[in-house]
Amino acid sequence: MGDYKFAKTKLAEVIGAMSDYQVVAPVESGEVVRFAVVDDPAKVTLEFSNTNVPPKELMFPETETLFRFRLGGTDLEPEVPDAAARRAVFGIRPCDAMAYTIVEKLYNWDFPDPYFNNRREATTLVGYACAEPCANCFCPSLGGGPGSEKGLDSIAFDLGDTMYLKTLTDKGEELVKALGGVLESAGEAEARAAAKQVEEAEGKIRRSIDTEGIAEHLPELYGHPFWEQFSDRCLSCGICTFLCPTCHCFDIQDESEGLDARRARMWDTCMFSEYSLHASGHNPRPTRKERTCNRVSHKYSFFPTNFDAIACVGCGRCINYCPVNIDLLDILEKSKQADAKEAQDA
Amino acid sequence: MVDESKLREKAAEVLAREDVRRLIGWKRGTYGFEAAPCVIKDASEAEALIFDPTCVQNPASFITLEEKKPVPRGQEADTRKIAVMVKGCDSRAIVQQLVEKAYDRDHVIVLGIPCLGVIDRRKAAALFGDVASQVSAKVDAEKVAVDVGGDVKTVDRKDILMDKCLRCRYPNPLVYDELLADEVEKWAGDEFADVGEFEGQSPEEKWAFWEEQFSKCIRCYSCRNVCPMCYCVECVVTKLQPQWTRRATDISENTVYHIQRAWHLAGRCIECMECQRVCPVDIPIMTLNRKLTRDVKEMFEYEPGVDVEAQPLLASYNPQDPEDFIM
Repeated sequence: MGDYKFAKTKLAEVIGAMSDYQVVAPVESGEVVRFAVVDDPAKVTLEFSNTNVPPKELMFPETETLFRFRLGGTDLEPEVPDAAARRAVFGIRPCDAMAYTIVEKLYNWDFPDPYFNNRREATTLVGYACAEPCANCFCPSLGGGPGSEKGLDSIAFDLGDTMYLKTLTDKGEELVKALGGVLESAGEAEARAAAKQVEEAEGKIRRSIDTEGIAEHLPELYGHPFWEQFSDRCLSCGICTFLCPTCHCFDIQDESEGLDARRARMWDTCMFSEYSLHASGHNPRPTRKERTCNRVSHKYSFFPTNFDAIACVGCGRCINYCPVNIDLLDILEKSKQADAKEAQDA
Repeated sequence: MVDESKLREKAAEVLAREDVRRLIGWKRGTYGFEAAPCVIKDASEAEALIFDPTCVQNPASFITLEEKKPVPRGQEADTRKIAVMVKGCDSRAIVQQLVEKAYDRDHVIVLGIPCLGVIDRRKAAALFGDVASQVSAKVDAEKVAVDVGGDVKTVDRKDILMDKCLRCRYPNPLVYDELLADEVEKWAGDEFADVGEFEGQSPEEKWAFWEEQFSKCIRCYSCRNVCPMCYCVECVVTKLQPQWTRRATDISENTVYHIQRAWHLAGRCIECMECQRVCPVDIPIMTLNRKLTRDVKEMFEYEPGVDVEAQPLLASYNPQDPEDFIM
């Protein structure tokens, strides 16, 4: 595919030229950078390591209407997103884009989910390679990397004064065409500089995990006391799961105002005690111990067993934002030392 | 500053007692400025305990967090005590929990640590960037010395300590069975300057501010779960039958959540600031709490979490209330 470049000072102009698309990009609000629909190209920022809230919300919004209905009526009005709409996501980090390739396996398992799939189809993803990984990044351990192209349609590299853009798919090429003449063509020099940057960025990644054998071992540790050193301080809040680019659980609720009603789905988390609460009052995961065990086991064992992929991209958010320093890599390393024979019935 | 070897010795001694089930303190975190609250059950684990300005978390939150499974027939519930290490601000949470009769005084052994301030990791990140190696620190009345992998830097208190520490009224624990170090001298009063500044705005400005802030909320409920005063077994915001607050995240439901949370803490918030510290999207939650704290202080001359013999604000009546706000 093609190689292009533009001067970094022209970022707003390039974003502005995507007028055939609805543009979503990192926008700063206060000290928090988050992906948002761009109303003013000047607000787009490239000065962030990664967004606090992952762009999973672009395919799987925090709250989304599935259909609307009238109380007492029988007609349903589905609100399925249009797959033919054109949306460009600019500046997504490689780990977050790779997360879509994992989550889409679930959304196409027993039923192809039109909400997720149509949004994905309508979207052209322009990645943004990492030059400065965070302290808790470990993407290479999961098959990603600072310049990973997985799930992307094109990828941009910040080469100082110049942004180098490499297209990877037809969709990526199509977006470049729609831009008209704002891009210049790039060559060997930029490609080499980008490759060097990726290599240097990989060298800066300080954390890692050898995932060999974890998927088989974790289920043997159900009820094992080793979980308690983490779960005893767990707050049972939703930070680790809501900020996880691959966590995909949702709750479905009906809401009404007068006679107008909707069925909506919204992010849910296995770390809340209500998540597994049965109508009978019984809760199969009654304490934070079972919930912590489930979160880690789902990512590193159940999901890979079902879909042949670990449900983690190594973005480090669950580690960075946990208020009580529950560190996923620490859990995984210690799980290797935990002896299955010491597991108790929970 | 507390001597860490003395702190570990004391912890091991307490844990060795037959009537003690667990101890809540802090240990070094896995990276950067992180400390981890830890719950230890055996005297041999006391070696891991630390206390320095990275120990921000409030251990009092963990006393009521424990979920108990139903006790099988023929067995008795474990009613042994919980030992807990607290800073001055943390101890106010225990006082208020006792005032509200969350548990009996006998249930806890409080090991008090006079404190000169703890580090705000957002301020630390602005000064030191993204730090991977484990950091330790020392604080005195003038400066904070930060040790990043052997490289010690001295920083001004106001540039790195949490705002609550800069205006701390209670650096020494208000309830304890034993103090692990000498009491420290108080250094500040609290004039509620932050609240005054906020109150000076017009209602339109205030609403524009909160609309933006509440819109960011992802309803992870970390602010609620970390709060030592939010210990209801069933919270009104997660109740499904009847459902008082919808689970949908939008400005309306998020506002309901935040107003509800703030009001439920009126006359109860002990200003440990944990809610604001944990927020993953930087909502300045304490601004609401601080406004209510000042109102409660001025209108009812009441301060929560300072006197174990006090009555809860909303369960008491004082004919000498100023009543200036009643027409």
